[in-house]
Amino acid sequence: MPKCTVNGIEVEVKDGATVIEAFMKTNESIAHYCWHPGLSVAGVCRMCMVEIEGNPRLQIACNTPVQDGMVVYNNSEKVKEAVEWTLKFHLINHPLDCPICDQAGECGLQEYYMSHGSYDSEMAERKVKKHKVVDLGEKVVLDTERCILCSRCVRFTDEVTKTNELGIFNRGDRSEIGTFENRPLNNKYSLNTVDICPVGALTSKDFRFRQRVWFLKSFETICQGCSAGCNVQAYYNENGFYRVKPVPNEEVNGHWMCDEGRDVYKFANKEHRLVSGIKKEDSGLSHMAPGAAAVQLREDLSDTKKAALVLTGQYTTEEYLKFVDSFTKNYGNEVYHWINNPKTFDDFDGILLRGDKNPNTVGLLRVLEGKGIKSSWADLEEKLNSGQIEHLVVAGPENLAVFPDLEEKVTLFGQAQKLTVLTPVKSKFYESADYQIPMKSFMEKDGTFVNHKGIEQKLGRGPIVVSQALTLLDLSMILDGSDFISVNSASMGGSL
Amino acid sequence: MEAKLLSEHYSDDSYIGLEGYKSKGGYAELKTAFKMKPEEIIEVVKQSGLRGRGGAGFPTGVKWGFLPKNGEPRYLLCNADEGEPGTFKDRVMMERAPHQLIEGMIISGFAVGSHKAYIYVRGEYMDSVRILEKAIQEAYAAGYLGKNILGSGFDFDLDVYRGAGAYICGEETGMISSLEGKKGQPKLKPPFPAIQGYLKKPTIVNNVETLAAVKYIIRDGAEGYRKYGTEKSAGTKLFSVSGDVNKPGVYEVPLGYSLMDLINNECGGMREGRKLKAVIPGGSSAPVLTAEETGRATMDYECLAEMGSMLGSGAVIIIDETRCMVDMLKVILHFYHHESCGQCTPCREGTGWLEKIVRSIVDGNGRLQDIDLLNRVAENMKGRTICALSDAAALPTMSFIQKFREEFEFFIREGRSQVKG
Repeated sequence: MPKCTVNGIEVEVKDGATVIEAFMKTNESIAHYCWHPGLSVAGVCRMCMVEIEGNPRLQIACNTPVQDGMVVYNNSEKVKEAVEWTLKFHLINHPLDCPICDQAGECGLQEYYMSHGSYDSEMAERKVKKHKVVDLGEKVVLDTERCILCSRCVRFTDEVTKTNELGIFNRGDRSEIGTFENRPLNNKYSLNTVDICPVGALTSKDFRFRQRVWFLKSFETICQGCSAGCNVQAYYNENGFYRVKPVPNEEVNGHWMCDEGRDVYKFANKEHRLVSGIKKEDSGLSHMAPGAAAVQLREDLSDTKKAALVLTGQYTTEEYLKFVDSFTKNYGNEVYHWINNPKTFDDFDGILLRGDKNPNTVGLLRVLEGKGIKSSWADLEEKLNSGQIEHLVVAGPENLAVFPDLEEKVTLFGQAQKLTVLTPVKSKFYESADYQIPMKSFMEKDGTFVNHKGIEQKLGRGPIVVSQALTLLDLSMILDGSDFISVNSASMGGSL
Repeated sequence: MEAKLLSEHYSDDSYIGLEGYKSKGGYAELKTAFKMKPEEIIEVVKQSGLRGRGGAGFPTGVKWGFLPKNGEPRYLLCNADEGEPGTFKDRVMMERAPHQLIEGMIISGFAVGSHKAYIYVRGEYMDSVRILEKAIQEAYAAGYLGKNILGSGFDFDLDVYRGAGAYICGEETGMISSLEGKKGQPKLKPPFPAIQGYLKKPTIVNNVETLAAVKYIIRDGAEGYRKYGTEKSAGTKLFSVSGDVNKPGVYEVPLGYSLMDLINNECGGMREGRKLKAVIPGGSSAPVLTAEETGRATMDYECLAEMGSMLGSGAVIIIDETRCMVDMLKVILHFYHHESCGQCTPCREGTGWLEKIVRSIVDGNGRLQDIDLLNRVAENMKGRTICALSDAAALPTMSFIQKFREEFEFFIREGRSQVKG
């Protein structure tokens, strides 16, 4: 393992590591646009200049392998001037349209302008005109004038998705990123190009113009979209959630996440949520506080001889542990696992996307196994069809989009004499249920998801959207006889 | 004093065909080479002091020595993408003596252990391609190419690849990208082509003139070849002379030859007896020499390097007193701006910026601070990119300003050329 000295700090790196990787191991900053830890080295932005003792010429850190004993620095006047000039070259033809650019606030050009920039442009001549608002595909828009041609997006489609939609067309200062004819950027990971674009060239159609990034707060959590368990950063403000972006985790998702996963923030927002408990009465639907609905459910269940529970892989391990415990203790061992898409359940696309569209199937299976519960879906169907189930409680999904069998299953469940649906989100299919009890979404609670590999990952609790919604833990307490205390996490964290 | 080594028979039309070539000693050195061990050939080439004739002047034998010493397949590529403005000697070589190049390539291929070679020819050189292809067919038919050449057990295949007219494909890794079917853009080094080049295999890229010269090193031996030239610049060199002389053309002279002699003897002196103003000695990317410097210059790597310029590809552009240096710089910069591949930011943006500034001056909109700005832009483009194209735009800019500053100042002040009025 070679050792080198970076701005006077000794670092040990892996064999074959480059100087920029040595910098990354220290807290020393090094400007860079084209280098990305998840992609090959392009060496074109020329920002990561360093001075290496014994070499009169500045070198780029991203393509210089560390040699044992190398002494490197990027805080000399020579390097600073070189970086400042490289930034100047990046900016001379840039439109400087920050006030209307979606990247403003998280833009690499703005950042380095503040740290390395000079404050007056010396270019007196006209800038190069290029294409604006280029529609690359379903999700991504390109502004070629803002583009600094770092080629990260091109390398992403070449190396990660291997779909090769993007290319650099033309040459010199007429170069532009683009797609080939009739081959739009529509792969399942296309929005990663927006994340890795260091400037405002690539923007997300979903996010652009909806919010200034400096009005957003964020927290880290785990994606709810499938069993991969990608680590994500969720962004929100008082109006709701706006986007999620991947957080690097070598063991789980590398640097990326899929486009489907980017939509999971949507059903956590208020417009999709069930906000009050609903009980079906002879006179119609009666709305009440979620806790009150749960207390009524408990009373209803207390006369029941034959109750059953259906669980989806959409809740946390902690919830399963406690809720299965309460349910079986109070109403017997009838617990079933609803698999939403059995035919594609084990699919894998070779990158991240899993056919199991539940974040915690493994957690659920572990809990059921731990409690010695063995059940078959066919049994449940038979019991429902023969009218043997008096009251069926279903812990339904948050992400309705990945439950194509929802209508069919709710019809099946409707054969029980009574049906309770626990759900974070509204659905017209639930209107026939006797009870609908609002649950918290994954954005609003603590807990653990276990991904397909068996890696346990903690959710990071974000702001509360539906303040009185319950978790399965809350519901367990109520089923166990406690009268629900209406104090909830809203008073503890930020509330939307 | 012309020294006709490579170009001895260039004026003879029959030398283009196989029979004529053979009658003048063609393919004799191939037989000699096959009697040698490959490492002996590499050693002789090292000893001969042959340096790359494409522009960089890197010692050929040393370059060959960088190849891995194992049986890994490797490629030999001939760089015939002669694009440096002012250079046209490779074209003459390919069109007047295609077999000379082919023979040089077979010997070189044998030396470096390559069984597959390509000649990457500049897209505009339609005639060169046609002539080379015909010569290659002749060589295959006569058993100089293909399997078991002349019973030596050595197999060697050779193909011509036509470029599409991009200057950048003359940069060796840009050429490799282009040959691989990709956009012609230079690759990051390391890895160097000798370790990982064409199709990620070890690759040697040599200029047309370099490969052809190998034949004469085999013929005359290292010492024989060293009879020409200087200690550090051995052998002869073909110079493409253009501009304001009476007889522009390709001339072969020993390295170390006086530049004034080249102008006055070979090229018949200045056109219409005008006064010499400047010379660009090594293609348009080489820093310009003043008339005074020209008087002292000898055409070899070390003298020109000492003068802050370079021998480059041997393209000598003669400039007389009627030429406006501001105008000339504009033309040069237009070329590099047009040809920048656009990968590296300083070159992509800098070449355009330089051209725009000089264009402003020529259009009468120059500002006095532009001269200093041109210098600073060029200074910060130099040595900051993957390949040398950025330097190729920066060096002439800096040298033109340094040596002809008053012409730039006049243009800015008066809004018109000092020379043309």
